[in-house]
Amino acid sequence: MVIGSILKIAFQSLLANRLRSGLTLLGVIIGVTSVMTIISALEGMMGGVEKQLDRLGPSTFIASAMGGVITSEEQFREMLKRKPIDLDLVDEIKESCDLCEKICPRAFDRALIKYRNNSLNRVSVLASTYNFLDIVDIEVAQGRYHSHNEDNLRKQVVFIGEQIRETLFLGVDPIGKDLRVDGKKYNIIGVAKKMGSMFGQNRDNFVIIPFSTYKKNFGKPRRNANFVIKARSVEQLDEAMDQVRLVLRSNRNVPYNKPDDFTLITADAILDQLNSITRIFRMGMVGISSISLVVGGIVVMNIMMVSVTERTREIGIRKSIGAKQKHILLQFLFEALVTTLGGGLLGTVSGFFIAKSLVAMIDMVISPSMVAISAGLIISTGIGLVFGIYPAMKAARLDPIKALSYE
Amino acid sequence: MTLIKTENLWKTYTMGSEKVHALSGVTIDIKQGEYLAIMGPSGSGKSTLMNLIGCLDTPTQGVFHLNGKNVSSMNDDELANIRNREIGFVFQTFNLLPRATALHNVELPLIYNGTQAVERLEMAKLALGKVELEDRMYHKPSELSGGQRQRVAIARALVNNPSLILADEPTGNLDSKTSVEIMKLLNNLHDQGNTIIIVTHERDIANHAHRVLSILDGKIDKDEIINANQRNGVH
Repeated sequence: MVIGSILKIAFQSLLANRLRSGLTLLGVIIGVTSVMTIISALEGMMGGVEKQLDRLGPSTFIASAMGGVITSEEQFREMLKRKPIDLDLVDEIKESCDLCEKICPRAFDRALIKYRNNSLNRVSVLASTYNFLDIVDIEVAQGRYHSHNEDNLRKQVVFIGEQIRETLFLGVDPIGKDLRVDGKKYNIIGVAKKMGSMFGQNRDNFVIIPFSTYKKNFGKPRRNANFVIKARSVEQLDEAMDQVRLVLRSNRNVPYNKPDDFTLITADAILDQLNSITRIFRMGMVGISSISLVVGGIVVMNIMMVSVTERTREIGIRKSIGAKQKHILLQFLFEALVTTLGGGLLGTVSGFFIAKSLVAMIDMVISPSMVAISAGLIISTGIGLVFGIYPAMKAARLDPIKALSYE
Repeated sequence: MTLIKTENLWKTYTMGSEKVHALSGVTIDIKQGEYLAIMGPSGSGKSTLMNLIGCLDTPTQGVFHLNGKNVSSMNDDELANIRNREIGFVFQTFNLLPRATALHNVELPLIYNGTQAVERLEMAKLALGKVELEDRMYHKPSELSGGQRQRVAIARALVNNPSLILADEPTGNLDSKTSVEIMKLLNNLHDQGNTIIIVTHERDIANHAHRVLSILDGKIDKDEIINANQRNGVH
């Protein structure tokens, strides 16, 4: 009951000094906003990366000559020296790796594509087998993906991304039309569902052709080649990777005492590595932005100190009529907490919207996160307590006689 | 029945290397229902004695009993509790919260002893009624005259039904006409059974009381009973 009344008194005191309370609030808002912007943006970006990697699926891995997260120049140089993955190994892997459910060789290149008089340059040309869509999460929006038969017969068919349809086939049904890829004619059999952009990169700007057709038209793939392999289950992923590793090591003549000269990558491994590399950076960003939070806290403390001095007589009056130390302490602490919590709430909201507009620049969308909201509220309550306790204690410990005679 | 009993009360302040005795062995006995004035020139120690009686301070030496409780050894919070329940202060400068209404100023002591809001309002209105200020209860101190402000302060002192009303120079900031009104109010409160102690340096004001304690150099100089025919005011 007493606490409720004291909280009301604290509110009334804040309202009585609107300008001062408003400026203090602004200090906290700026501090919390800066931290929340960083936290929300980083969380959103990491979430985006995670989502992107999740597209592979938990039991899928990629076998390639280069890849993964490169952490040093030496590692990069060593990777450049590696032989490309021989995609003709697909049958050997199928035979030797019984724990691999699906194996897709994948090659990629960039080429000029043309429909009638309109053309698009540097479009990503992907080549893979008939079962590629079972492993990656590209979905069919219209038509179909190429069949096993078309793959075997090196048919000139193509499956196009949404961006190609939007650019070259506006108002025209693309199915059945002929598209020129690198000068060669392909019949369009299907269109992929829109995937949108990520980190400023359009993910719908691609065409997929059968793997055998690619070899016929572009030659045997060299650098830009890898296998996308799906293990029978998540539990058997490690064993499946070991089976593939054995085949690749023997094919590439890697001595038993040398490390792999290829990379087997899973989404989880990339994410773990990325997380550990960016951890220090993320902590640094939050640390730097926290400086403004400390400044906000100092503003609160400064204003509270001024307030205690200015209201010394009021404190004396309250004490003379029976307010205990804890009552005065709570009153001033509540004033600090109400200010910082209010600032924290507003700062969290504005931080989220600033982060949202920032990550929108790299074509990402973030949604309000409980972690960020809780962090905002905990941080602002913490500021109120840390920077409000000293002035509140100073007020509580005032001698009533001296306080009453304060001019 | 004894309300206040002090035995050999000392209050010593240390000013640098020097010790200043504001009170030097004061022993007094004040009964319930008494109307007492503490008089003395400035620097005599009357304010120090008022601070001790009002439980705003503790003595350096000696014992002080209020309503049978030894308050001289109490801590800050226990003293706050005594101030809240046993004592009603009336100050020379009124000491009202400037931003609060008369009603809120009067209900303030009740907030700190946990009285429920509804009861608090009723008690505060009743106290304002006793000082005839019901019609000004929603006014802030700046909207009230000096006399009205002091009446709000008296209502605040009364609201908890304290054992003692302690008035420190209650007319010090008022003109003579308003001073008479305020003293009349205090006389009436005494007639209703309240124990009142007035601290003053004016003989006229002290003569409203039934007993006058004169303090000089931290000691009781005179303890005189004021006869009905010597008294100021009709009560």
